[in-house]
Amino acid sequence: MAFTSDLDQITRAAAGDAAAVRAIVNRYSPGVLSLATRMLGDRAEAEDVTQETFIRAWKALATWEPRAKFSTWLHRVALNLCYDRLRKRREVLSDEIPERADTALGPQDALDQAQRVNAVEAAISALPERQSAALTLCALQGHSQTEAAEIMDVSVEALESLLARARRTLRGQLLDGRNAS
Amino acid sequence: MTDDRLIELIETWGAEAACWPEAERDAGKALLRAHPERFAGALAQARELDLMLGALPEPEMPRALTEAIIAAAPRPKRAGSGLPGWFGLKTPWAPASGFAAAALGLFMGLTMAPVASAEDEMTAEVEELVVSALGFDTATYAVEELE
Repeated sequence: MAFTSDLDQITRAAAGDAAAVRAIVNRYSPGVLSLATRMLGDRAEAEDVTQETFIRAWKALATWEPRAKFSTWLHRVALNLCYDRLRKRREVLSDEIPERADTALGPQDALDQAQRVNAVEAAISALPERQSAALTLCALQGHSQTEAAEIMDVSVEALESLLARARRTLRGQLLDGRNAS
Repeated sequence: MTDDRLIELIETWGAEAACWPEAERDAGKALLRAHPERFAGALAQARELDLMLGALPEPEMPRALTEAIIAAAPRPKRAGSGLPGWFGLKTPWAPASGFAAAALGLFMGLTMAPVASAEDEMTAEVEELVVSALGFDTATYAVEELE
């Protein structure tokens, strides 16, 4: 079972077992980096958050109590670090950040794949942070509803509401905008 | 399951029934099978958005970042050898040199210091204390000594 395997790996990693440490990093760091990248829209900051997340994890290993799945806990730490950074950005640059990025797509013929990807990424980054988190966790990373709700520390109903609003916004910007042009 | 709820599920969780909440999945699928025409528009839009989201590349973990994270991980504990690693000290020779210095100091002290006699530097206060402890009348003793 994944849960037992988690616990076993964590115990060994806490004792300094290099293989267990590497296994944990290989298994979870891509997801953490992906979440941070989608949330922050900035690769360098996302890497900082990923590193900070694991540094906190290493500190917590010795006293780890499996109240939640390790991956859930890890993603929650990462998400909170992202929220912190977004909050600081708002405080520092509140006058400079546009309310919403202009993500309306041009005519279909003019769009190549890279432009489309950029537009989708920009649209996700421009979402309110909790909607962006819900979309990333559920639609992009495939977390279960329960797990995503647990990571975000919200109810499943609240998660669904956030996700519905996120997808509605993206639909409006990426699909309706394109059809209208 | 109502039409409105199924449209909500499609718009929220996407076109794939596997992504819908488990508790409503079967009912949603049954309604969709029964009346596919009612949901075709919502499904097509949801599918298109799903494809756009699915096409996003996953960021690759840079090797340097992986190694930096691993380097910050807990270190293995040292195997014990009698006294467990000199109580966890990283430089076990440090207390050994301290013990050597103390032993040398003790040796020098014992061999080079002058031997003290009982009369050396006996102050009046100490003398009085000794006499009192032996039961003499210190005043008388002092007078006798003067004579």
